[in-house]
Amino acid sequence: MTRKTVRKIVQLSSIGLLFLVPFLNRKGITAVTGTLYSLAVGPVWLTDPVIGVQTVLTTMRLDATLLLSLLIPGGLALVLGRVFCSWVCPQNTLSELFDAIARRIGIRRIFTLPFTPVLRYTVLILVLLASLAMRFPVVSLLSAPGIISIQAANLVYEATVGLELGLILVIAVLELFIVRRVWCNHLCPVGGFLGLLRSRSTMKVVLSEDASRACGRCRVCSDACGLGLDPMEGRVYPFCHNCGDCIAACEGVKGSENPLQFRFRA
Amino acid sequence: MSSTPLRPPGALPERDFLATCIRCGKCAQSCPYGAIRIAGLLDGLEVMGTPVIRPRKVPCYLCMRCPPVCPSGALKRRLQKKEDVRMGIAVIDTKTCLAWQGTICRSCYDDCPILNEAITMDDKLQPVVHKDKCTGCGICENVCPADPAAIVVQPGEKA
Repeated sequence: MTRKTVRKIVQLSSIGLLFLVPFLNRKGITAVTGTLYSLAVGPVWLTDPVIGVQTVLTTMRLDATLLLSLLIPGGLALVLGRVFCSWVCPQNTLSELFDAIARRIGIRRIFTLPFTPVLRYTVLILVLLASLAMRFPVVSLLSAPGIISIQAANLVYEATVGLELGLILVIAVLELFIVRRVWCNHLCPVGGFLGLLRSRSTMKVVLSEDASRACGRCRVCSDACGLGLDPMEGRVYPFCHNCGDCIAACEGVKGSENPLQFRFRA
Repeated sequence: MSSTPLRPPGALPERDFLATCIRCGKCAQSCPYGAIRIAGLLDGLEVMGTPVIRPRKVPCYLCMRCPPVCPSGALKRRLQKKEDVRMGIAVIDTKTCLAWQGTICRSCYDDCPILNEAITMDDKLQPVVHKDKCTGCGICENVCPADPAAIVVQPGEKA
């Protein structure tokens, strides 16, 4: 089984869990509860780091329980990068689907944006400032994975979904017709903040060539990248969410002597 | 939703609640009765995603499972005793209350979880709410045979 297949299975299972967890909760099985804003797995609580920062800003208080629940998600991003985005987030899964549809039927987007992180950090700062100024959780209302998971629970409990899903519709239109993968690359505050949690030894895609691992400049890696990045060029962070598709493509060409690899040190 | 909605047990005062609640929906998932619903966009952008209780549909049975699961502290996690809950206060409309209008009825009195304390029957067999004991759970509102209910919870802590 290729890495890409494993990732697809994890992505689809994650979406399945968004429905299964609320269903089991109502049946009295509460080992796992919550949504992609905040999850409890037994006694372990996990909260989206940007939601934690937002709440500190809206409440001007440091709640120990809330801060503790940020450690594992934040630590995961520090060690493995934004694997939440690439392996779990239902919006990324949907966006990959939108992109596959656009590719299949040949939709050409109106604009292309340069890969500079200016827009994503501007959006992130603006939504956090708005949360602070209005004492209102603006980021929660713009968390696509959060909204999708809440509405999945809504569908299970009340057999309806809310108009909040309009955000997902807007993202679909933007990504299909205006700018390719614009939400994950340039707008999402959840991924935007996770991308800040990096150190020099955070796992990253590295092109490391030597005598036994020569890059043939075949470009299968950049074709394989669902975000439109060019792994051969380097400088793909903070956009790259470590899905590993480029490395799998490289392995497909070079076998075990692939120059493109995940490394913790450059 | 025109006025302040009824919040789950342990909710901070409304303004703080709106700032603190991260809209995660965990309290609704923890509620075994389905009493906690998540407000939608149609209820207004401000309350969208927050937990609300509509007692006429399903009241709060004070099982106390939701306060400890709140990740942000919008519900006071340490709240354990149902007697300490102050979600609101039940108010009787004596013009429509069957007992106050002369019919024999004590549905609200019988089903009140703070039995014989939050609601008592006076010497004319008319129900009376005691603000210092009422939790605002809305069970009385739920069981009231009058339509619309003659006893309604006014949300918010009015201590």
